[in-house]
Amino acid sequence: MALTFQPLSGEALVDMARLNRIDTARMFMAAGNGHFGSCFSCADIVTVLYFATMRLNPSKPDWSDRDRFLLSKGHAAPTLYSALIRRGFIPEDWIAEYETHVGSRLMTHPSRRYQAGVDASLGSLGHGLSIGVGMALAARLDDRDYQTYVLMGDGEIHEGSVWEAAMSAAKFGLGTLVGIVDNNGLCVDGRTDEVMPLGALVDKWQSFGWEVSRVDGHDLGALQQVLAPRRGKGQTRPRMVIADTVKGKGVSFMEDVRSWHSDAISEAQFALALAELGAVP
Amino acid sequence: MTLARDRAALPMKSIRQQYGETLLSLGAQRDDFVVLTADLMYATGIETFGAAYPGRLFNLGIAEQNMTGVAAGLALSGKLPVISGYAAFTALRAVEQAKLDAAYNGVKVILTGQSAGLSYGVGGPTHQSLEDVAIMRSIPGMIVLVPSDAVEVDACLRAALHHPVAVPIYIRLGRGPEWTFNDPGQPFEIGKAVRLRDGCDLTLVANGSMVVEAVLAADALRDSGIAARVLNLHTVKPLDVAALQQAARQTPAMIVVEEHSVIGGLGAAVLEALAEVPHGPIRRIGIADIFPPIGPSHDLRASLGLCAENILAQALDLLGRT
Repeated sequence: MALTFQPLSGEALVDMARLNRIDTARMFMAAGNGHFGSCFSCADIVTVLYFATMRLNPSKPDWSDRDRFLLSKGHAAPTLYSALIRRGFIPEDWIAEYETHVGSRLMTHPSRRYQAGVDASLGSLGHGLSIGVGMALAARLDDRDYQTYVLMGDGEIHEGSVWEAAMSAAKFGLGTLVGIVDNNGLCVDGRTDEVMPLGALVDKWQSFGWEVSRVDGHDLGALQQVLAPRRGKGQTRPRMVIADTVKGKGVSFMEDVRSWHSDAISEAQFALALAELGAVP
Repeated sequence: MTLARDRAALPMKSIRQQYGETLLSLGAQRDDFVVLTADLMYATGIETFGAAYPGRLFNLGIAEQNMTGVAAGLALSGKLPVISGYAAFTALRAVEQAKLDAAYNGVKVILTGQSAGLSYGVGGPTHQSLEDVAIMRSIPGMIVLVPSDAVEVDACLRAALHHPVAVPIYIRLGRGPEWTFNDPGQPFEIGKAVRLRDGCDLTLVANGSMVVEAVLAADALRDSGIAARVLNLHTVKPLDVAALQQAARQTPAMIVVEEHSVIGGLGAAVLEALAEVPHGPIRRIGIADIFPPIGPSHDLRASLGLCAENILAQALDLLGRT
C-alpha cells in the first residue's frame, strides 16, 4: 500500500479536503456538537499531509520508516480520523460512533490506544512538539529519514513547553522535524492576540533557530511545497510552517466565528453545512 | 531510648555516586538506553556516563516538561529513556507529561528523582520533595520504586532497566551519603517486599532511608524481648499486598515509616491495602502536613521523628510497654 498509493494533487486533493470536512461534520452530528472551527481550519493541512506528502503504510501502522504526524491540537481529532479512515487505517463505519457511547473508539482527542495510525495520544495542549523532538532524535540515533510533522494551534503556542521544545529542536539540529502552526487567529475566549498576544510569529520562530515559511493554509499547492519531505542530511534546522487559516473554513456561517470553536449543531445547521460542502444527501 | 547498634558502625555511600556508577556500568552492558537531564548532569552524578557515551546523553536545559515529552517521543520510537533529575522537578514540574506523554501513551520511560524527601534538607521546601510518591502512584500504570541504600539503588536500577513493561517507572532516590546495610546478593524483585527481620510481635514497614532506621529499631526491640518483623517495601506500586496481609494476620500491630508526607505515601498505600481485611492498630510515621524547616538531612529527619529512636518509642507505646 505504501508503495502503490498514488499521492493526490490538484482537484483530487481539493476534493479530498472537502470530503474530510464532510466526514468531520458527520462525526459531530453523531455527537451533537464538536470543534468545527478548529477542525475546518486545519482540514487542508491534514489532507495534504496524508494524501500528498507523508510516507505511510496503512497495513503496517507501526512501520519504523513511516513519517510521523502528531496532532498536538488534539481537539481537531475528527480531521485526523477522516484522513485515517480514507487512507485505510481505521474503518469508515466508526464515524457513526463518534463520542456516542461508553467505549466509543473515536473521541474528542486522538488516542493510540484505540486508533491505528495515531502516532501519539494527544489533547492537552503544548505536548506534541516535545514528543516530536523525541521522535526526531530517535530518527537520528537510528539513521532513519522519516519526517515528524507536529500540528499546533496558534492559541496552543501560549504554552511555555512549546518554547522549551523549540529551543531543544534547534539545539539538536533536527532537520527531519516540521512544525506547523494552524494560525486561525481565534482561541476559545476570543482573538488569540487579545487573549495573549503572540507578537511576530515568524520572527519568534526564526530567533529560536528554526527555518520558517509562511503560507496560506488553505492553498493546497503552497502547502504541498512547504510540507514536502526533506530527507537529505543537508537539512540541519527544524522547519516551521506558519499556516494562515480561517477558523471554520468551508462553511460560511462558521468562518471566523469564535463560538464555532466548539458548539452544538442543529439539524438545520447540519443540513446547511453539508449543502455548502457539497455532500450528497 | 538507646539503640542496640550504632549507625556509625555502618558504612556510608553517596546515593548520587552510586547512581552514576550504576548507569556507567549499565551503559557498557546495554546500548539501548539513553539518558536525559535538565542541566543536572553533574548534580545527578552522570558526567561519567556522558563522557563514556556522549551520543546517549541529552541535556535539555532547565526545561523538565520538554525533557519528559522528549523522553516519551524517544520511547515511542523504540528507545529506552532514563530521566535523570531531582524528585521535586521530575515528579511535580512535569507531572502532566509523565501522566500523558509517558503513561497514557503506554511507553516505558524511567523517571528518576534524586534529592527526594529531606535528603537535600538544607535546600528547603523548593528542593525537598514530600509529595512525589503520592502524585506518581496515582498515575495509572506507573510503577513506583523507593530503594533504601546504595546497594539497593544499584539493584533497583538494573531491575527497572530490564523490566519488560510498557509503563513508566518512577524511582525515588536520595542524594548524599546514606548508611549501607543491604546484602549485595539480595535480588531486587519489583513488587516484592523484602523481609529483613522475622518476628510476630509487631511489623515495621518502611522504604527508602527509613528502612535502616526500622532495622535498627527492630534490633533494639529484640533486646526488650519484642520480635519485630521488618518489611522493606521498596515497591510502593504495585504494592506487595500479600506480604502486608500476611503481616496483618500474623502480627498484632504495625508501624509504617517513610520520608514522605503522611498524605498519599507508603503509609496511605498500606492503609488502603489493609482496609478491607482484619488488622490490628497501624501507626504511621512520616511528615505531617507541613513545610518542614531546613537542616542537614539526617538531623532534619531525626528532628521530625524519622529515626530509629522514635520508631522504638512508638513501638513500645503501641504495644503498651512504656
